[in-house]
Amino acid sequence: MALTIFAVMVVLLLLGFPMMIPLIAAAGLGMFMVFGSFGQTETLVAQMLAGIRPASLIAVPMFIFAADIMTRGQSAGRLIDLVMAFIRHKKGGLAISTVTACTMFGAVSGSTQATVVAVGTPLRPRMLKAGYKDSFTLALIVNSSDIAFLIPPSIGMIIYGVVSNTSIAELFIAGIGPGLLIMVMFSIYCWIYAVRNNVPAEEPATWGERVTSFQKALWPLGFPAIIIGGIYGGIFSPTEAAAVCVLYALILEMVVFRTVNLRGLIATARSTGLITAVVFILVAAGAGFSWIISFAQVPQAVLGSIGIDQMGPYGVLAVISIAFFVGCMFVDPIVVILVLVPIFAPVVQSVGLDPVHVGAIIVLQVAIGSATPPFGCDIFTAIAVFKRPYIEVIRGTPPFVIMLLSVAVLLIFFPQIALFLRDLAFAK
Amino acid sequence: ETWRYAFEEALDEVQGVFAQQFKEHVEANTDHEVQLFPFGTLGESDDIMEQTQSGILQFVNQSPGFTGALIPEAQVFFVPYLLPQEGEALNKFFRESVAINEMFPELYAQHGLELLTMYPEGEVVMTTKNPVTSPADLNEQNIRVMTNPLLVESYRAFGAVPTPLPWGEVYGGLQTNMIQGQENPMFFVESTKMYEVTDHITFTGHNNFTTALMANADFFAGLSEEDQQVVRDAVDVAFDYILEYQNGLTERALETIKEAKPSITVTVLTEEQRAPFMAASADVEAEFLRMTGDSGQRILDQMKADLAAASE
Amino acid sequence: MDDDTALASYRSDLPGPLGWIDTGIARLEAFLLAAGVLLMAANTIANVVGRYGFGMSIQSTEEVNRILIILITFAGISYAARHGRHIRMSAIFDMLPGPGRKALMITIALVTAGFMFVLAWYSWGYLATTFSRGRILPSLQIPLWWTLVWVPAGFFMTGLQYTLTAIKNLLEKDIYLSTNVLEGYSDDSDQEV
Ligand code: NA
Ligand code: NA
Repeated sequence: MALTIFAVMVVLLLLGFPMMIPLIAAAGLGMFMVFGSFGQTETLVAQMLAGIRPASLIAVPMFIFAADIMTRGQSAGRLIDLVMAFIRHKKGGLAISTVTACTMFGAVSGSTQATVVAVGTPLRPRMLKAGYKDSFTLALIVNSSDIAFLIPPSIGMIIYGVVSNTSIAELFIAGIGPGLLIMVMFSIYCWIYAVRNNVPAEEPATWGERVTSFQKALWPLGFPAIIIGGIYGGIFSPTEAAAVCVLYALILEMVVFRTVNLRGLIATARSTGLITAVVFILVAAGAGFSWIISFAQVPQAVLGSIGIDQMGPYGVLAVISIAFFVGCMFVDPIVVILVLVPIFAPVVQSVGLDPVHVGAIIVLQVAIGSATPPFGCDIFTAIAVFKRPYIEVIRGTPPFVIMLLSVAVLLIFFPQIALFLRDLAFAK
Repeated sequence: ETWRYAFEEALDEVQGVFAQQFKEHVEANTDHEVQLFPFGTLGESDDIMEQTQSGILQFVNQSPGFTGALIPEAQVFFVPYLLPQEGEALNKFFRESVAINEMFPELYAQHGLELLTMYPEGEVVMTTKNPVTSPADLNEQNIRVMTNPLLVESYRAFGAVPTPLPWGEVYGGLQTNMIQGQENPMFFVESTKMYEVTDHITFTGHNNFTTALMANADFFAGLSEEDQQVVRDAVDVAFDYILEYQNGLTERALETIKEAKPSITVTVLTEEQRAPFMAASADVEAEFLRMTGDSGQRILDQMKADLAAASE
Repeated sequence: MDDDTALASYRSDLPGPLGWIDTGIARLEAFLLAAGVLLMAANTIANVVGRYGFGMSIQSTEEVNRILIILITFAGISYAARHGRHIRMSAIFDMLPGPGRKALMITIALVTAGFMFVLAWYSWGYLATTFSRGRILPSLQIPLWWTLVWVPAGFFMTGLQYTLTAIKNLLEKDIYLSTNVLEGYSDDSDQEV
């Protein structure tokens, strides 16, 4: 039964159906196989709606809205200027600036695609002009933007937290360690690349420029302060932090910078609503799917047949990592989280793994998978944004994927990479 | 046949223990299989209730306080200081109450549910960061409560800031001091490790957590007489078992906690200390009556009469 | 931003009065989306300010957000269908030759429309069931079914959009992702997640 359902889902996905359809079709089929009729479709609808009911999900539109307001304004540009003023004159400085800017912008934005647009668009021409190959530049932008998925806020973390009933506050904090580790590894690779290809460094910025750029970036840097400081300091829940970020972004862009007017605000709200709907219909469809799967006791059957009970924690983490990595090479990350997390939840619990550790691993795998050929969705974002052919976008990818996978392996064996900040923040 | 039975807790918590007793008895005496679905596997409280109403699930265990969206009168179990503390009087009340055994079944029947039994899960305690002996101690404290209007009203009446927070954020919220306390039955405080992030346990005596087992009414009516009898017997067996199991459950949980965290303080409020909490709760009863009207008044009066009878 | 203009300049290409109605519905959806997000932000911010500024949290915040999230989702899926914004994995689709792509697009649009109409029907049924069960939102004390009216409407309008997309692809030479969006037309902020 499970096999038929998954087969139908994968075929529909690959044919190019809107992703809600494979989920809904699989749920409908599962329901038919359990009940022998479609008489329970109303319950399926009810469970879809239950999927978008958790109060924590409000954080998704709020973080998107806040980041949208700031992207429309000057925040991204100011963060980039700050990074450049301090790093651009080093060997590989422009490339390292790109990595660092992606990380910093990641603290404003919850998604990789937004980061590709906000950081990649202004920095790619400069890198090309400085002598970096386009294949390197594109791969760097695509993969560095994945750091945004790990650094809070992260839509992937929110959805994982809601589906697995794990604290989003703890997940957020746990993403910082792996995110920074990736940033460091990428930066070292950029330096090596620049040395080997003899890419000249930029002119250093004057101290005056540096001070000015720092002053200008102070405002957007308040964003991570609200999220990390607010949650760490026990002031806000993640949802509240998201709402305060909206308020902060509004004050910043409408009052301080005056870059967004009322018209712009309404347009931003509309586009946030659109993105939210596109994500939430998937969350709803995923909830319907996982309801019927758990009703039919499929997870027990599937995981039992691969003998996961005998694998121990490392075996389980390996299976989870591979499943999410492969899944995200083909399908949108949110769909993969929605489908796979409920299946693995019972075994994660029975093996006694820390759900926050598992969450960090999953979100990292999701990020890697979605930047990995053939179909990782970040690749298509880059094709769309930079209007470059597929082969050019993926050519420089392998070294980055290898670095990301090595972080993933480290994270499995050294949970502290993710958990030490969490334990520090929550005084465990 | 396969009967599906969902409940709001984990398999090793009170509702789960009840469910396992029920399953054992049914399977020993019939050819039916009972599949158990613990918390979260088929959705939240409201969802398993709807699924039972539509007949996909045959049995559902839901606390009447949460049935309030459907049967407002059921929220009477959240009126503070109505039920007595744990002990024989409480057990007798659950066995003999006219409200529980006659009036509520009629209300549930209107919603396609056969009310099989109601049973207690233990006294609700507050676990807090600061000691609590009077409403003044709760002043300006953020206390996490479930999002039920009467519970929210209760804590507001006690002087606290009732703070709704998804359950997943409660532990972290206490760690970071975003909230300063929460309330739950003792066994739950132990199983969810709430004591790790709070320092004081207070028995205020304001509530005994009550829960209820229901069947889909059409399903139940369609059963053969023998099967109906087996179900009723299984409920009785589980009911007796759970009262026995409850006996000392709070104390056992408390012992485990004290072993794990010797520094924790445990306070049972005296009659005088309870008085101001009781006085504050008058508003909550008024709020209940405002929400439920005459029907609520009848239930409340009957409950009070039953309680008087039980404590004789 | 191109995105704004693309969304703002939307005109239905249905003929005559049908077109006006369709354009009107599109405007209503856009309005509901923006209003939903702004209200949600205001509501959530008010709760935080209330809790810190005045030591009281607003009891109904969660329920209001629940209503808004359903509104945004179901006004939005139809709006997203109009603008060809639903997330899909188009890599294999894109590799097909023109006629194959066209045939597949028509199939996808029709099948998707079918699913949406079926869901519209059953969610209408769910709405009726909820109505008959008389469930209420505990804090706001309003009937739960009020919050669900957007569900069947949203599914139905989405089904309609995909039906129109199939028809458009049958009538015109080009391949359309939605009634107004040509396939291959790539917008920078497309599929932002
Ligand atoms: Na981020
Ligand atoms: Na990614």
